[in-house]
Amino acid sequence: MSDLAFPLDPTPTDWNDAAMQRRIRKRYTAERRFKLLGLAAVSLSAGFLAFLLITMLAKGLGGIDIGFLTGSDATDPAQVGIWGAFKGSLLTMIVTLGIAFPVGVLSAVYLEEYAPRNRWTDIIEVSINNLAAVPSIIFGLLGLAIFLNFMHLPRSAPIVGGLTLALMTMPVIVIAGRNAIKSVPPSIRDAALGIGASRIQVVSHHVLPLALPGILTGTIIGMARALGETAPLLMIGMRAFIASPPGGFTEPATALPVQIFLWSDEVSRGFVEKTSAAIIVLLAFLLAMNGLAIYLRNRFETRW
Amino acid sequence: MDTETITNAKMSARNVSVFYGANKAIDDVSIDVSRENVTAFIGPSGCGKSTFLRTLNRMNDTIPSARVEGRIELDGEDIYGSGMDVVQLRARVGMVFQKPNPFPKSIFENVAYGPRIHGLAPNKAELETIVERSLKRAGLWDEVKDRLAESGTALSGGQQQRLCIARAIAVDPEVILMDEPCSALDPIATAKIEELIHELRGRYAIVIVTHNMQQAARVSQRTAFFHLGVLVEYGETTEIFTNPRQTRTKDYITGRYG
Amino acid sequence: MTALTIALLLLGLGLAAWLAARAKAMAFARPAAGAARVHSLPAYHGWYVALWAVVPGLIVLAAWSHFSGGLIYQTVIASPEAAALPAFDMQRQAILGEAYALATGGADAAFNPQARALVPVYEGAIAFYFWIGLAAALISAFAGGAFAYSRVSPHFRARTRVERTVMAVLLLASLIAVLTTLGILVSLIFESVRFFSMVSPIEFLFGTSWSPQMAIRADQAGSSGAFGAIPLFWGTIFIGAIIAMIVAIPLGLMSAIYLTQYASPTVRAWMKPALEMLAGVPTVVYGYFAALTVAPAIRDLGLSLGIPASTESALAAGLVMGIMIIPFVSSMADDSIAAVPQAMRDGSLAMGATKSETIKKVLVPAALPGVVGGVLLAVSRAIGETMIVVMAAGLAANLTANPFDSVTTVTTQIVQLLTGDQEFDSPKTLAAFALGLVLFMVTLALNIVALRVVKKYREAYE
Repeated sequence: MSDLAFPLDPTPTDWNDAAMQRRIRKRYTAERRFKLLGLAAVSLSAGFLAFLLITMLAKGLGGIDIGFLTGSDATDPAQVGIWGAFKGSLLTMIVTLGIAFPVGVLSAVYLEEYAPRNRWTDIIEVSINNLAAVPSIIFGLLGLAIFLNFMHLPRSAPIVGGLTLALMTMPVIVIAGRNAIKSVPPSIRDAALGIGASRIQVVSHHVLPLALPGILTGTIIGMARALGETAPLLMIGMRAFIASPPGGFTEPATALPVQIFLWSDEVSRGFVEKTSAAIIVLLAFLLAMNGLAIYLRNRFETRW
Repeated sequence: MDTETITNAKMSARNVSVFYGANKAIDDVSIDVSRENVTAFIGPSGCGKSTFLRTLNRMNDTIPSARVEGRIELDGEDIYGSGMDVVQLRARVGMVFQKPNPFPKSIFENVAYGPRIHGLAPNKAELETIVERSLKRAGLWDEVKDRLAESGTALSGGQQQRLCIARAIAVDPEVILMDEPCSALDPIATAKIEELIHELRGRYAIVIVTHNMQQAARVSQRTAFFHLGVLVEYGETTEIFTNPRQTRTKDYITGRYG
Repeated sequence: MTALTIALLLLGLGLAAWLAARAKAMAFARPAAGAARVHSLPAYHGWYVALWAVVPGLIVLAAWSHFSGGLIYQTVIASPEAAALPAFDMQRQAILGEAYALATGGADAAFNPQARALVPVYEGAIAFYFWIGLAAALISAFAGGAFAYSRVSPHFRARTRVERTVMAVLLLASLIAVLTTLGILVSLIFESVRFFSMVSPIEFLFGTSWSPQMAIRADQAGSSGAFGAIPLFWGTIFIGAIIAMIVAIPLGLMSAIYLTQYASPTVRAWMKPALEMLAGVPTVVYGYFAALTVAPAIRDLGLSLGIPASTESALAAGLVMGIMIIPFVSSMADDSIAAVPQAMRDGSLAMGATKSETIKKVLVPAALPGVVGGVLLAVSRAIGETMIVVMAAGLAANLTANPFDSVTTVTTQIVQLLTGDQEFDSPKTLAAFALGLVLFMVTLALNIVALRVVKKYREAYE
């Protein structure tokens, strides 16, 4: 089977040979360099984030005052405020949440609990996974073609923006919801069924309450992403100069990220401070939302 | 505790203790590893034999919470000393693991990995020679010589383990540590590995950890019995199995506890 | 006087129906001792009747609100006051619009006397159709509710029916995702087909001249458009697939390696969220930062090196985009490397390999499919990105290899084409949809390939 008397048996390796020692030293140097490279990569990435935040703070912190927070868009940079854009964002987010959350959660429940394994459910699953990765501007085109040109909804209104962003956010909620529901152990379901609960009762009384923290976390993260979106809203026209805050869901409005975009185009220097200030407000909100999501996840998520 | 010192031992351990954080896993073990014999470590599961085995090639270094006290020597040199290079140590003291772990590369590349990184083959022809010799010594050459480019993970369990042995042999070690090498294999593959151990004996100092007492009796000349992190008895294999001196050893051998 | 009012009324009716049915069911819910158990709880009976009342009402309401607009319009046009309106369409629409606004309370004062005259006509028509709609909704609600109420009895399987309705609602919700995908495909293809009837697909896909100025009116002087999209494709690839990846892949991969293999748990606990935060910053912020800080610096750099550089450069946009993409690469790489079995790492270390040798020669090759999948997903994200390139890259359709020069991308042009006057039939606006179709197809293909690569990899370790 084996051939230990193999003729070309060399002399055993001399580990103390100078050449071998040199080689080993070189390998250790390479090791140190590699580790340093990794550290540099992490530092560079985090450093850039810090650089961005510090720049924004430096340029914009001075511009935040009560007038800024309560005023609306104007031609004079000294008088602009973000309240108009902020209210527009708020109204849009309400529409988005109102549509994406129920549809998302109901879809997640259906796909995880009730859907039979057939072609239709496969198509639904594939659609949702693909939609989650479609560039946001495509949703803008969809909104333009269908909501504005086919259904003739009012242009620049939060309801259209909300609908468009809802279509974009819904897959995120579905995926988060499915994961949350999947993590509820089958033993709980078996116990409920064993007592004679119907399938709907099992889900509404047992599974959903346990999956709720995960669903909420995913929803908040999805909404945070929607809050920062600009491109789809540009497509459906929420880019006009709005001098006063919108009165309702069907009046022309703009959104905070769009406002930032419009101001960034302005030539006058005064706008740099205001734009940076608006960015600080936007980032503060996103930080709060993500922080809330993380808090919810840590506080309420049970490890099975 | 029974220690027999061997003259001209390949490796020797003195008062070795191993801690994982605050837990003491190995308590004050002193033992010699023979140069030309196969040494078996036996004992119930969780008794620390694998942990102790891993101190011999400093694999415990990869676990952040592990701490080793005592002195372990390879040919008289302290392996935990500042003068010992761990990369070199692990080439001189090779290891075969419980579950075969070939790299997801070709059979040739698996065996060639060690010689490549240590620069043992100055040219391709020599590398091929080393690979062929290692595979022959591991008893795998005839089965794979026509398919060296195939993936190592495509082999059967027994073949994969022999591939891992060939891989360890390729760097020309002085000691081979085997951590329950047959526990994941079927009886036929196990028999092949045991035959291989017979043939490798003498060329390499071999230490084998096994929970299978019959296997220890079959392949080793010296046996050490571990229990709860302590070395209970160490001696000639025939003595340990027919006439053990410690009660605990006798109880384990006769199957009073597993 | 709006649809909303009627809808609220219907909901109120539904509540009443629910209470009434539940009361009826509660009457027989607790049978005398020895009688058979009731199938459904009273609440389910309530839901059953409520659904039968509200749903038909809502359907009627939806139909009414769809048609009422047209009907009101017809009535107003047919009225004697409308005969006096000017024939020119735009003026006519303006006056009608003003009258409508006045009638619905959207405006306060009238400018046009003709509009003022039309107001009472509008008000009359609106009120008339409102009452019709209200009556229809209420009648259907009562009819449905009464029918359902009559069926409430101890043997009636209300719970089963209600649950079946719930299931149907769930299924409908899931279908919305399919509908959305279909909607995207249909709208993009539909408009693209119209575009390709005006501009040949060959010119679009292979032409190198992009200058989409179209004369708006027949008598306007203006260059006729050229719609060769190659410069756009090149700009997109140059920024998103080349420059951004040159930044993101090394930084992302090395960060993942460092955090999984070398970093202490505390460092990892702080650095991993920090990297995730990079993905959470809105792209408009990145774009602004790129335009404000990075682009001028790049231009100065280019000029000092003697290379022709413009204020908006591919390098500025690509750099910032690369930074934004880092978390996508690093998180996929992190997962893939962590999934390589520990035994493999041990096997390599036990042979005397250093940590970096183990990583370079064993771990990364083993994790490669996952890493590649992550890179593909990152590329897909990068080429679909809009705001950074709009704000920092530029509008000039340039076919250049100079990173300091300005180029334009598919996404920038989509935004550009749909800004300003929108003649929905001109090739200019339709081109945006054609570009959108190409973008959608390419990102879809990348995502599918990426997922397939990752899935194949996952099977290897089972």
